[in-house]
Amino acid sequence: MGYSELFATYGEKYLQAIFETLSMTAVCFAIAMVLSVLITVMRVSPIKPLRIVGDLYVQVFRNIPGVALLIIVAYALPYLKIMLPWKACVEVAVVLLASAFGSENFMTGINAIGVGQIEAARSIGLTFTQTMTKIVIPQALRSAVLPMTNLLIATMLTTALGSQVPLNPQELTGLVSFITTRETAIGILPFTVSAVAYAGFSVLLGLAGNAIDKRVRVIR
Amino acid sequence: MPAETPVIEMRHVDKHYGALHVLQDINLSVDKGEVVVLIGPSGSGKSTLCRTINRLETIDSGEILIEGEPLPQEGKELAKMRAEIGMVFQSFNLFAHKTILDNVTLGPREVLKTPKDVAEQEAMRLLARVGVEAQAHKVPAQLSGGQQQRVAIARSLAMHPKAMLFDEPTSALDPEMINEVLEVMVELAREGMTMVVVTHEMNFARRVSNRVIFMADGQIVEEGTPDEFFDHPKSLRAKDFLDSIRGH
Amino acid sequence: MSAHTTSMRDALYEAPGPKTRRRTLIITAISLALVAIGIGVIIRQFYITGQLDAKYWSFFLRPSTWRYIAGGFVGTLRVAAVAGALALVLGILLMLARTSGIKPLSFAAHVITDFFRGVPSLLLIYFFYLALPQYGLRIPAFWMITTPVALAASGVLAEVFRAGVNAVPKGQAEAALSIGLTPHKTMMKIVLPQALRIVVPSLISQLVVVVKDTTVAYVVSYPDLMQNARVLITNTDALVQVYFVVAILYILVNYAINQLSIYMARRSGNPIISRTTENPT
Repeated sequence: MGYSELFATYGEKYLQAIFETLSMTAVCFAIAMVLSVLITVMRVSPIKPLRIVGDLYVQVFRNIPGVALLIIVAYALPYLKIMLPWKACVEVAVVLLASAFGSENFMTGINAIGVGQIEAARSIGLTFTQTMTKIVIPQALRSAVLPMTNLLIATMLTTALGSQVPLNPQELTGLVSFITTRETAIGILPFTVSAVAYAGFSVLLGLAGNAIDKRVRVIR
Repeated sequence: MPAETPVIEMRHVDKHYGALHVLQDINLSVDKGEVVVLIGPSGSGKSTLCRTINRLETIDSGEILIEGEPLPQEGKELAKMRAEIGMVFQSFNLFAHKTILDNVTLGPREVLKTPKDVAEQEAMRLLARVGVEAQAHKVPAQLSGGQQQRVAIARSLAMHPKAMLFDEPTSALDPEMINEVLEVMVELAREGMTMVVVTHEMNFARRVSNRVIFMADGQIVEEGTPDEFFDHPKSLRAKDFLDSIRGH
Repeated sequence: MSAHTTSMRDALYEAPGPKTRRRTLIITAISLALVAIGIGVIIRQFYITGQLDAKYWSFFLRPSTWRYIAGGFVGTLRVAAVAGALALVLGILLMLARTSGIKPLSFAAHVITDFFRGVPSLLLIYFFYLALPQYGLRIPAFWMITTPVALAASGVLAEVFRAGVNAVPKGQAEAALSIGLTPHKTMMKIVLPQALRIVVPSLISQLVVVVKDTTVAYVVSYPDLMQNARVLITNTDALVQVYFVVAILYILVNYAINQLSIYMARRSGNPIISRTTENPT
């Protein structure tokens, strides 16, 4: 089988798979960003129990292997009467993982600001809210652009977890396993298509992130 | 002349860092237009003292009064009081993501609610006064240390402070930049600004200050006019300290 | 990444006054209650679904269970260790090729590095599991999992090494060249050894990624921790409990590795270079 035949037979499935991968990536990343902000707020708050829960959340989800988390969400939760559709299982797992790393990125961004600027903001009479909205958050967001770009790419790669549960339509990795299992003489063709798609999107996202970073980076 | 209320007054102020007694029964008052210089060996508590005046450091006991009013402990009242006292830090602490102009206008616009064009006009005037108006549209990292510190002074002045605190303003500067910052401070003192200055610049202390306060181990050991202090120090600690800096 | 995450978080809120202290106390009490309720709800859910029954937990008291889990853990460590070592070598080779100054070689290394960084490790594993056998290449399960994990890590490591080489002060190479060392010798004798020392914390933290990637070993039926967990489940029916315990084991191991890398970073003063901190392109 050559590329033309592969595309004739599976072209539509590939387009669907690309759409699945990209849309899951977008949805998961968006939700993960919101969650990261919430978790980070908890972690920097002066409320001890919230801090502990936030820290624990990050330690659990940055250290658990994605596959183990997916298996728990997809196969263990139903025993606890929590039943999610397959796709939602993948998305929950990806969001939990990505939000832990997202919060770490925000923390790093906050740490980079330094105590001095916050004291300076206080001493010209800014209130806590003004210090946060005028000094801390803008700088944390700007310095998070590059790490978050990397996280976005990592999120896309993590959606490959979708290959471990029956999705319909499938995403890029699951489709490869589907095609290769059916066409026993197809060789490496399906892999190269998916791999090029992943690597291509990674490079594109990276370039976009770099371009944004160049415009907003805080020079120190 | 009737005794005016001091701009800054500290009564029996104590502070500990764990087992370390960093401020011990500090009594101090700074009158309007006075320039008070705090000197002493590192770890003597002079920076901590300076930072307690606008509550960047809390105190354990005692009282701090600003124009006779107790220093508020939190909230809007504290923010308002801080807006009235300028602070210049050792490491400048300019807002890294804002231009020089925006650094100076942020306080007036956010705190005093000054209209943008008025705030910018005044900021440009202040930047010109400290000699960095040409850098107004750059960001802090593009300026030299001396320039950044002068911007920091302009940022404080933009709030029309009643008094200004200087926490080792020249200690982080290369030698050739120290004078450009000191000159701005001398000018401020001449115009009658009330100033508390923590510094190692003895010439500045001698030329400009009304009073020198010598601290060691969290205590005020000695205070007096610059001539008294530098020519006839009373305490052994002060003599040793002056010898050690003159030795170099 | 989180070498110093504690100082700034305290600086955001200044020392509280009496009103703030009271408010903090009240919110703390409320949040404590909410956390307790949350934990209660989880335990209740376990209880009403029968997952707390002794029959699902008692086999954890048997030494044979733990022997089996330990066996799987050894399998995981074996894959991780060999994949890590392989990735180390490949990563250095890719970095050397990329910084060699020979255009085609450096271009090829660049493409290969970006490829392995830009492709999910699962896809690489399917490549070794499904595609290669179609060409009659039959490799043992161990290598079917170890090779793709190593390849995926090598791309990231190549970038870590490159960052390490860049972190060696320029003067070192200039001094070496000026005493007559060849560029090759300068790299191998002077720059690379120092770069390696700089990246030690980063390499340790990268081990976490390798350990995580090994969990897919069940795809190729290699007896790692995850695969042994699956076997244990078919024998005990205790799916929730086994996955729960195994997940905690993974988390603890990775947490320990992360802490070690943070400790090394603090001790040596060298930052942890990770995927998230490096340039994405």
